[in-house]
Amino acid sequence: MISQFFVLSQRGDNIVFRDYRGEVPKGSAEIFFRNVKFWKSDDGEEAPPVFNVDGVNYLHVKVAGLLFVATTRINVSPALVLELLQRIARVIKDYLGILNEDSLRKNFVLVYELLDEVIDFGYPQNTSTEVLKSFIFNEPIVVDAGRGPSLSPAAMFMQGSKRMPGTAVTKSVVANEPGGRKREEVFVDVIEKISVTFSSSGYILTSEIDGTIQMKSYLSGNPEIRLALNEDLSIGRSGHSSYDYSSSSGAGMVILDDCNFHESVRLDNFDLDRTLTLVPPDGEFPVMNYRMTQEFKPPFRVNALIEEAGSLKAEVMLKVRADFSSSITANTVALQMPLPKYTTRVSFDLEPGAVGQTTDFKEGNKMLEWGLRKIVGGSEHTLRAKLTFSQETNMNITKESGPVSMTFTIPMYSASRLQVRYLQIVKKSRTYNPYRWVRYVTQANSYVIRI
Amino acid sequence: MSGHDSKYFSTTKKGEIPELKDELNSQYKDKKKDAVKKVIAAMTVGKDVSSLFTDVVNCMQTDNLELKKLVYLYLINYAKSQPDLAILAVNTFVKDSQDPNPLIRALAVRTMGCIRVDKITEYLCDPLQRCLKDDDPYVRKTAAICVAKLYDINAELVEDRGFLETLKDLISDSNPMVVANAVAALAEIQENSSRTIFEITSHTLFKLLAALNECTEWGQVFILDALSKYKASDARDAENIVERVTPRLQHANCAVVLSAVKVILQQMELITSTDVVRNLCKKMAPPLVTLLSAEPEIQYVALRNINLIVQRRPTILAHEIKVFFCKYNDPIYVKMEKLEIMIKLASDRNIDQVLLEFKEYATEVDVDFVRKAVRAIGRCAIKLERAAERCISVLLELIKIKVNYVVQEAIIVIKDIFRRYPNTYESIIATLCESLDTLDEPEAKASMIWIIGEYAERIDNADELLESFLETFPEEPAQVQLQLLTATVKLFLKKPTEGPQQMIQVVLNNATQETDNPDLRDRAYIYWRLLSTDPEAAKDVVLAEKPVISDDSNQLDPSLLDELLANIATLASVYHKPPDAFVSRVKPAVQRPEDEEEFPDGLDAGPSELSATETEINASPARGPSNVPHVPTKAVPTAAAPPPAPVPDLLGDLIGLDNALVPVDQPTVGSGPPLPVLLASSAGQGLQINGQLIRRDGQIFYSFKFENNSLTPLDGFMIQFNKNSFGLAAGGALQVPPLQPGSSANTLLPMVLFQNISPGPANTLLQVAVKNNQQPVWYFNDNVPFEVFFTEDGRMERATFLETWKSLPDSHEIVRDLPNSFISNMDATLEKLAGANLFFIAKRPLRDTNQEVIYFSAKLPRNIPILVEITVLVGRPGVKCAIKTPNPDMGPLFFEALEALLK
Repeated sequence: MISQFFVLSQRGDNIVFRDYRGEVPKGSAEIFFRNVKFWKSDDGEEAPPVFNVDGVNYLHVKVAGLLFVATTRINVSPALVLELLQRIARVIKDYLGILNEDSLRKNFVLVYELLDEVIDFGYPQNTSTEVLKSFIFNEPIVVDAGRGPSLSPAAMFMQGSKRMPGTAVTKSVVANEPGGRKREEVFVDVIEKISVTFSSSGYILTSEIDGTIQMKSYLSGNPEIRLALNEDLSIGRSGHSSYDYSSSSGAGMVILDDCNFHESVRLDNFDLDRTLTLVPPDGEFPVMNYRMTQEFKPPFRVNALIEEAGSLKAEVMLKVRADFSSSITANTVALQMPLPKYTTRVSFDLEPGAVGQTTDFKEGNKMLEWGLRKIVGGSEHTLRAKLTFSQETNMNITKESGPVSMTFTIPMYSASRLQVRYLQIVKKSRTYNPYRWVRYVTQANSYVIRI
Repeated sequence: MSGHDSKYFSTTKKGEIPELKDELNSQYKDKKKDAVKKVIAAMTVGKDVSSLFTDVVNCMQTDNLELKKLVYLYLINYAKSQPDLAILAVNTFVKDSQDPNPLIRALAVRTMGCIRVDKITEYLCDPLQRCLKDDDPYVRKTAAICVAKLYDINAELVEDRGFLETLKDLISDSNPMVVANAVAALAEIQENSSRTIFEITSHTLFKLLAALNECTEWGQVFILDALSKYKASDARDAENIVERVTPRLQHANCAVVLSAVKVILQQMELITSTDVVRNLCKKMAPPLVTLLSAEPEIQYVALRNINLIVQRRPTILAHEIKVFFCKYNDPIYVKMEKLEIMIKLASDRNIDQVLLEFKEYATEVDVDFVRKAVRAIGRCAIKLERAAERCISVLLELIKIKVNYVVQEAIIVIKDIFRRYPNTYESIIATLCESLDTLDEPEAKASMIWIIGEYAERIDNADELLESFLETFPEEPAQVQLQLLTATVKLFLKKPTEGPQQMIQVVLNNATQETDNPDLRDRAYIYWRLLSTDPEAAKDVVLAEKPVISDDSNQLDPSLLDELLANIATLASVYHKPPDAFVSRVKPAVQRPEDEEEFPDGLDAGPSELSATETEINASPARGPSNVPHVPTKAVPTAAAPPPAPVPDLLGDLIGLDNALVPVDQPTVGSGPPLPVLLASSAGQGLQINGQLIRRDGQIFYSFKFENNSLTPLDGFMIQFNKNSFGLAAGGALQVPPLQPGSSANTLLPMVLFQNISPGPANTLLQVAVKNNQQPVWYFNDNVPFEVFFTEDGRMERATFLETWKSLPDSHEIVRDLPNSFISNMDATLEKLAGANLFFIAKRPLRDTNQEVIYFSAKLPRNIPILVEITVLVGRPGVKCAIKTPNPDMGPLFFEALEALLK
């Protein structure tokens, strides 16, 4: 099992260090950091998450800009170690409310106490925030939010939508509110990350949705919760082939390829009426993960064009159309397009009256960047850019530029059409009516338009 | 609680320790607790607070769990350095292990097990015995792990006290967490013991399967991993296990899924019903694909495992190729693995789609990824005969984009395609030849030359093309030289005309006389002998039918694949190496040898170790068809087997040339090593110029030998140098007396630096023009041996070396593998390098290997230091070299020089 666990800052500073077996020499954190920083191999310059130096295996994940690392000398299950590292990060976040260098340093005693319960002699014991609560005695010291990148994908709710209590996501599950009483509330977030690749002629080559129903409960007494999903939700494609969409693109059915559930979820009624029953443990956890390759309507259509315009000159035209309802607004939209290597200058031409748009040309990697603070559903935006080259193009310039990649966040939008029909708290008292938040968000994972 | 913990990290004033001592002995609990926190804070940042041992241990007797835990944390850290004092804690431990509060009981055994001090260990046995049978499952599960801890410290004690039996009993415990920990502990003990300690019987199997559904996700992994070692008795037994394990595939924890896959794959080997197997494959596919939705780190592990699984059972994911298409934001390590799997899953059905993807990847920004994508296209062509033509047309499209590294990579794979499908695609050779001048990588050059030689009869100007390469023959790497030699012979055999005849002469001359590469020399001699004795036999040998090559993308050795599949979901399956290749369990940290201490960690963990790892890890995945022999070398020795006696002039007889080659056996120069030929007499109308830059007495000279093989006397020699990277120019007039026919003269021309410096990246090309009164001006190229610039005052003190190394930014560090270099005798090499003004600083063995790390310094004119770190296994080829210098542009030249010195 694992020998050591440590957390390093981006600069390589040791923030947390725990040795469970004393079989790995002392300088391991230093050795690890140097290797990660100066990695070079035939397969690129980014260190893989698992590598071996002088008989010591180093496994690491990056969370919130920090490196969570484990070392071992034996042939362990790397998936177990990497999952464990992710889970440690999540538990710490549950306790501290926010995960960053500052919060770790301020709470080091609590963090060590947690680590001793989570891992014994290198064996993971328990990573459930709920269970750990009975063994942990230190209280968290909450640091100011917004000082560093947050761990949770739910942090995206903090931007833009005012309807939601943004502080909730950085609230510790164990720390009490200033008033001494906890607010009774439960959050259910349907988070979808979509990947779409468009061919140069606009066809969809691949499309995929990775979804999670994330829950964070602040309900006292851990009441049972019933969560109802689309009644016609179907799991498993019968055709069993990625090429065969004919069976799935029909009516309104949502067909998932595969899904898995948190261990607290009971599926007694799932086959019957698509409801999940669970007693949510404290802390943030995924109720259900799902994956879908059924065809869906991509939220954005992009046209990208690059054309020669005289010697040493070319023009780029990027057009984005938001293919969703006008009641929905996407935010933090960004498009990137690599330009030919010999591009020296780019002058931009935004549409008249454009607000909240930024343009940039990154000299170093010859990248054209177009940012749009928000895009309202149904609207269309265009960017024109004039390029100047340092040499004659020897070939078709479309081959030397692109593909366009796009990132965005669309709150209150679910690309898969998966829905939480209702969230029921099974508790006798009629007066008990805690806050229930069901939120949707769709984000780009890999949204690529080839040209 | 007041304030922030980080205040404990605040700056240390003088007298901090006495201050803490006072606080630790305070009568107020809060103050005590704060003080212990301060001590722990100091401990975690590496300060020595061991002198407070007694004071901290005195705080242990408390019913405040928070404080107790802090004290225990301290104890674990310092007990080892204060074994005599640690004994003070024993009484409290023993008392705690009988506390009414189960948390305190568990805490006591857990902590005792972590203190690796014999005296404590002795006292641990009784509490442990009790806790293994405690009423509370939390205590029992903690005690179970504690047995493994104790076994690690003192295995005998564990066996003598019967802990193993108690541990085995825990497999039947009512609490699944206890079962899981007992299984984990037993598995570890078994791992470190040669006796059979833990074996799953049908009885325990039942218990394990029952606990599997109930315990935590981590416990499930322990149990599944133990199950994977169980050998089912028959197909029904196997089916039964699989049935119980299959629901684990739905788990959200990837580790559970992979361990379940491992068990299922193992039991599938026993299952005979094809329906059941097919059904299982179908069930495994979606969860395996879902692993690719996890964090990229876990995706990487999943992909490495999938890579193995599809080699054994390609059908599982045959229809899922799309999920392996790269996303633009995948980390590079994920993209590379996806490419591998795409190649493995490519079939006639999906090849069009796959090619479209590869083509797209080949125009991306990341050079390593692009190269791999181009290779992938070639590998698909070799794998899928019916798709080969489409693959080639994609490659041709890519070549037309004229991105240098794409072209070179494409040529390398096209060579393999030609090997695989002879006489099919030669029509594209003309397109390839257009890119001839841009090739600068040895493998690409060698591939192109192979193609020219192989198809010489179809390429009208094959002789011209080869000749253009011949100009730089002496400077080419061995790989290219070998190909040039063989290609030239092929050309001659196919087109025995005057041009090729002359070329053969030049090549054989170069390959036999001017090289110290035995492979090249031997091959040249064999060809020479063949050509001179029996040209028909030469044809049979050199133009022999070549064995058919195949795609090696699936080629892990079957027995290795078996072993790796048995190790799915372990590190072995990520490295694609058997466990004993990287597992070296050692007992707690061995002290490093003395001399290593002299070098700080900064250097210790330097770049050479890094590259050592990467070659180790990345050596395993097949690197494409580059392993395919490029030339039919294997066929040669059997047919040729020449008598060892020297056979001078036979070629002369054969080709009928007058100025026959000088056989190597006759020494060409009276003393010292012969100078390389710069201008062959065949090219210089009888004038032969040999020469080399040398360093003597702190000055650079051009050492020349002029030889007049023409029929007329030559005089009035003058010399001129073109602009070059170092601004090398003549520092005086060329002193060559008039040369009578058949005579020769040696001379030393003093050289000066920094005269006419050519712009652009530094290279070693030196263009020279020589004229005399009788002949036209002769132009030739020489390669500047970089070591001539190393000045005599390059020796550095160790301290200066370290200081300089540290002061240079890391961006000024360059690392290079020199696979062909080796050191057979350390002392001789050091002497040789010192002779080249490369000064030895220090040497130390590299931990856990037989390798040695050697440090050198050198200095270039204008006081530019070069700091060198070499990692080498004496007697084995392959040297890793890292240098740091304020002028990193010089790096490649330095490596070239070092390579020459370490031949």
